[in-house]
Amino acid sequence: MIKQSNLIKLVLAGVLAASLTACGSGNNGGNNANSGGETDAGKNNAATTNNGGTNAPAEEPKKENVTITFQNIYPDPTDPKNGMLKKIVADYEKANPHVKIELDSLNTDQQKLKLKTQAASKEVPDITIVNPAAQMQPFVEANLFAPLNDMVEQNGLKDTFQEGILDWYTFDNNLYALPDGNNIGLVYYNKELFEQGGVKVPTTFEEMVDVVKALKAKGIQPMAIGEKDSWTGSFLFMNVLLRTNGPGFLKDVAAGTKTFEDPAFVEAVEAFQNLVQAGAFQEGATSFDYNAGENLFKTGKAAMYYMGSWATGGIETSSVNGKVGVFKFPTVGGKGNPNEFMLAPGSAFAISANSKHLQETKDFLNYFMLNFPKEAFAVKGAVGLAQKVEGDFKAAGYSDMAMEVLGLFKEVQGGDLSFDNTMNPGTSQGHLTSIQNLFVQKKDSAEVAKEHQAAFESNK
Amino acid sequence: MNVLRVSKWTIAAFVLPCLIVYVGLVFIPVLVSMYSGLLDWNGIGTSKFVGLDNFKTLLFDDPVFWPSVRRTLMFAVFSMAEIPVALFVAILLNRFVKKPNFFVSAYFMPVILSVVIIGQLWKTIYNPAAMGGMLNQVLEQIGLSSWTHSWLTEPNIAMYSLYFVALWQYLGYHTLIQFTGIQNISADIYEAAKIDGAEGLKADWYITFPMNIPIFKISIVLAFIGSLQAFDMVMVMTAGGPAHATDVISTHMYNMSFLSMKYGYGSSIATFLVALCLLATVVINFIFNRLERKYT
Repeated sequence: MIKQSNLIKLVLAGVLAASLTACGSGNNGGNNANSGGETDAGKNNAATTNNGGTNAPAEEPKKENVTITFQNIYPDPTDPKNGMLKKIVADYEKANPHVKIELDSLNTDQQKLKLKTQAASKEVPDITIVNPAAQMQPFVEANLFAPLNDMVEQNGLKDTFQEGILDWYTFDNNLYALPDGNNIGLVYYNKELFEQGGVKVPTTFEEMVDVVKALKAKGIQPMAIGEKDSWTGSFLFMNVLLRTNGPGFLKDVAAGTKTFEDPAFVEAVEAFQNLVQAGAFQEGATSFDYNAGENLFKTGKAAMYYMGSWATGGIETSSVNGKVGVFKFPTVGGKGNPNEFMLAPGSAFAISANSKHLQETKDFLNYFMLNFPKEAFAVKGAVGLAQKVEGDFKAAGYSDMAMEVLGLFKEVQGGDLSFDNTMNPGTSQGHLTSIQNLFVQKKDSAEVAKEHQAAFESNK
Repeated sequence: MNVLRVSKWTIAAFVLPCLIVYVGLVFIPVLVSMYSGLLDWNGIGTSKFVGLDNFKTLLFDDPVFWPSVRRTLMFAVFSMAEIPVALFVAILLNRFVKKPNFFVSAYFMPVILSVVIIGQLWKTIYNPAAMGGMLNQVLEQIGLSSWTHSWLTEPNIAMYSLYFVALWQYLGYHTLIQFTGIQNISADIYEAAKIDGAEGLKADWYITFPMNIPIFKISIVLAFIGSLQAFDMVMVMTAGGPAHATDVISTHMYNMSFLSMKYGYGSSIATFLVALCLLATVVINFIFNRLERKYT
């Protein structure tokens, strides 16, 4: 029942829409690329014709246009890493005009969710972000990532990485991702508040509890934490466990040679509860998210803050800069080696096994990683990189605190990964909830151990 | 049947786009999700068909599930209990306020705000006094220090703090709906009643309330379904914490599917939620049909 005039209208509307989109891609043409389609020949042609007059590459034999999607977790324009990312990408696009890098910048949590959704439909972006060890294992087992063994050898990229760091991203002798960082857990403290409270840097955990009490008595908030994001408390707890047991506890549990009801685990829970019960953390800690918790410390409202060394940059740019020092997590009950740290190999760049332009993507990532340390150093983001950095930090204007942190890196004698990087996601969630609960109520430590064991067994 | 004087084909043609969108975006995903509920699947790798195992674990072995169902239903009960209050407010506005539109819009304000803003706002209000929490500071100032709490982190209280925010936010919404309903009742009826000696609350009881039942039903259904799906506000304010104390069905589903990476298990929770919604809609409709028949 469509009348002829309506038909004409429809066609006209269609033409109008088509011309609008064409103009759209024409305006994007600054980097000489078809914005969307990769294999869609028709679209490709249309876009090129549209651009043709203005900026066709002058001489060069014309290579096929390539678009690489780069999912990343540096969305914040005030974060130096965001600018650094854009700079390296722009440099690469300039040198390789046929390649267009499309950035998909997301928050960490958003990115995790998006990747899982994409993975379910096997549509992983060309480059994406994963976490080490247990967290990336399901993706690797589903054959979603391309091995990078050959790529990492090119241009000597492998040698830029620190010894052993790539092991966390290697499965069955195949390397699947390249990390952007390598951090350790340590305690930041506010020297000014320590002075006001008349306390000294604790060398044992028991002293630390006393420091908490002394600060509390003077009305100073002893420690800050963002326990709404439950990994924060877990990270601290695991450091206590690292002292009472030594490294490798979770591996032993997974192998079946130990259980969570092991005395060392119960002791760690007990010690951790002592700290909480002494009133170390701010009231209502479980409703503070990571940023809110960290802000307490960064605004000078809390005296101590346990976190991975990635926090260094943020603290440097905050109002407490210059008043902050760091110390190693102390021994617990006389046990443990303070030079064993909670290790946090960073999030890492992986390449989709189904990438349409596998080779180009590998080439780009190779270039990206080679330039990463240099550019990060320039924007003062080079504390806790996974790669070796050349350059004089002191002369480049890094703060005393940053120098202290860099010093601690040299003393690392091994340690453990965080809980969720070691155990499967189901058990990890059980653990995280169980630890979070300790912040709101005192529990029997043996009971907590039992909870862990139950969670572990139901998620085997 | 041919009241509209157009062919059935034309009707079909106009209904079709909507139908396709509905089936594609609602019906098919629900079915897919029901199927996923039968799998042992982490959402990424290979899946294994396990029949009704997930449902068995869910109904009999999950220590978090039934408490979360209880909290969800409590949520629904509170939301529904709010509607008579909304009706009452609407009646008062209609009767005693000269230009009620301003007040209706004012009450409606919180509904426009995004849940994230509401959540952050109330988080700040609920904060401990030392962190600038308004509620606790007010309590201290009027000498009720013993009443102060960490409203969002004490397991026994946290859930009620969340209920309250939801009630606060949606009072204006339901007031608006009821208000519109009341305005549609013809003034003649009230005048007639006045002659017969029914005024004020008496008139409300015998006229406003019965005549407004269809509108009342809309509010009840909206409140019920809305609270079954409560998710965003809980996520923003407590994320189900501390230690599952504020988990509702949907947050439990989210935690299972995406954090514990048990996508199949999460889907079985989703299936349960769909079934619960359908059941509730049927029951509410049944009750109100009887009420309507009784009063009209």
